[in-house]
Amino acid sequence: MEISTALLLNAIIAGLLLGGFYAAMSVGISISFGMLDVVNIAHPAFIILGSYIAYIVNDRFGFDPIVVSVVVSPLFFLLGMVLYRIYYVCFERRGQESLRGLAFFFGILFITEVALVLIFGVDYRMVSTRYGDVTWRAGAVDFPMRLAVPFLVSMTMVIGVQVFLTRTFFGRAVLAVAQDQLALRLMGVDPVRVKELAFALSIATAGVAGAFLIVIQPVQPAIGREFIGLVFAVCVLGGMGSILGTLLGAFVLGLAESFTSTFFGPSWAPAVSFGLLLATLAFRPSGLLGR
Amino acid sequence: MGNSLRVEGLCAGYGAVQVLDRISLVVKDGETVTLLGTNGNGKSTLMKCIMGIVPPSAGRISATVDGVEHDLAGRAPEQIVDLGIALVPEGRRLFPRLTVEENLLLGAYRRSARAAIARNLEFCFETFPVLAERRRQLAGSMSGGEQQMLTLARALMTAPKILLIDEPSVGLAPILVIHTIDKIRELKEGYGLTVLMAEQNFNQAIRIADRGYVIVHGRIEYEGASREDLANNELIHKLYMGL
Repeated sequence: MEISTALLLNAIIAGLLLGGFYAAMSVGISISFGMLDVVNIAHPAFIILGSYIAYIVNDRFGFDPIVVSVVVSPLFFLLGMVLYRIYYVCFERRGQESLRGLAFFFGILFITEVALVLIFGVDYRMVSTRYGDVTWRAGAVDFPMRLAVPFLVSMTMVIGVQVFLTRTFFGRAVLAVAQDQLALRLMGVDPVRVKELAFALSIATAGVAGAFLIVIQPVQPAIGREFIGLVFAVCVLGGMGSILGTLLGAFVLGLAESFTSTFFGPSWAPAVSFGLLLATLAFRPSGLLGR
Repeated sequence: MGNSLRVEGLCAGYGAVQVLDRISLVVKDGETVTLLGTNGNGKSTLMKCIMGIVPPSAGRISATVDGVEHDLAGRAPEQIVDLGIALVPEGRRLFPRLTVEENLLLGAYRRSARAAIARNLEFCFETFPVLAERRRQLAGSMSGGEQQMLTLARALMTAPKILLIDEPSVGLAPILVIHTIDKIRELKEGYGLTVLMAEQNFNQAIRIADRGYVIVHGRIEYEGASREDLANNELIHKLYMGL
């Protein structure tokens, strides 16, 4: 098979753009699962919820879905706070977070999905944006704006989260909270409050990622489940507790999927992604940048 | 401006097991008081009671910070830290996957500690030059002695007025124990701290202590009003020197 330079370049660009989107979906899991030890498998449900909110406002008022998602992100933040409080009181405080906590989030996932089905049905929904059909060309290389706009906003968000976590007092407390809660209390920090706000932040990023999703592809309530494996794979591949690792993991997975789709067909893409994950777990269990 | 600690008739335990039996002690402003006793006599439990980690079943704990008296009963550890009381816990309890610098900065989380962060950081790096050299290294990758230095420095970053130290010599080679005890004295003098230190290593503890208590099976069995008193006490000879 002869591989043209243009095809190769386009595969790389598409992979990076896709990776940027994956980073937005996974950064929240990197916080909740990677830093707080909260196995929030309902994360993709909040992504889909974000998609539908962006869809409704876009459908009714014509506002840009990504702008909408940023504006409503405080609501997702509040939702995250409430959810963590329930999780804490019902499970974590009693030391029952492992199995029952998992069941709790599994329940949240299905309740959200069913609620969306009841309200909107199972049809695919999409949004209209001014840049949806625009493709910017540089020579033989395509930059579809449908992917490039989410990519740019995602990078801003992920880098923002990284700076926040590494440069602020609160951020450092988030990095420490899973390592030793008592030691953190001896620094004058309330670990439950830290986890509550950090979890809320993770849900806020899910809402924004949901808008990216519906800009990139049509959405129906059940597709959230398809992303559970993906977001956890990105998080583990990148290394637990490292936002930069998650970003790198997202790019690796995006590129891998783009190459397999381009050269072998899209149906192989998940196999390659999860093959990469297995290889990571076998040869470098701490992930690419895990500490 | 006084900083002192007072414990009266304190009882505490875990479930049906009573660990502390009517403990009373006082640490006056600017003193270094040592709490002596071998393993399993309740030294750590007493420290945990003072910090609000273990709830007492009876008795009273109060602290005076900058001349204001506070009842510590029912306060969470983070609230007690916020009053200006810090604990250097047994077993160090660093954040192993954070760097030395990140550990220190976490110490300065509370609002009043942030104001003094530059001065405290400089003091820590001056007192513990090894921490300055290793500021970017992960805390978990340092040696035991270095980790103990970091634990002391991190507690100091909380800008305490009263410092509780639980078994600073545990797990350290003898030469490092001497070094650690010297450093505690340096910190105390440099910062004008009021110190309560639980320690098994009698000879090292009395080098820097003004007074001390001996705790046996959860009771204060002896109160030494001076270093000499402690050194000449029969009970201590029995416990520590097998005489």
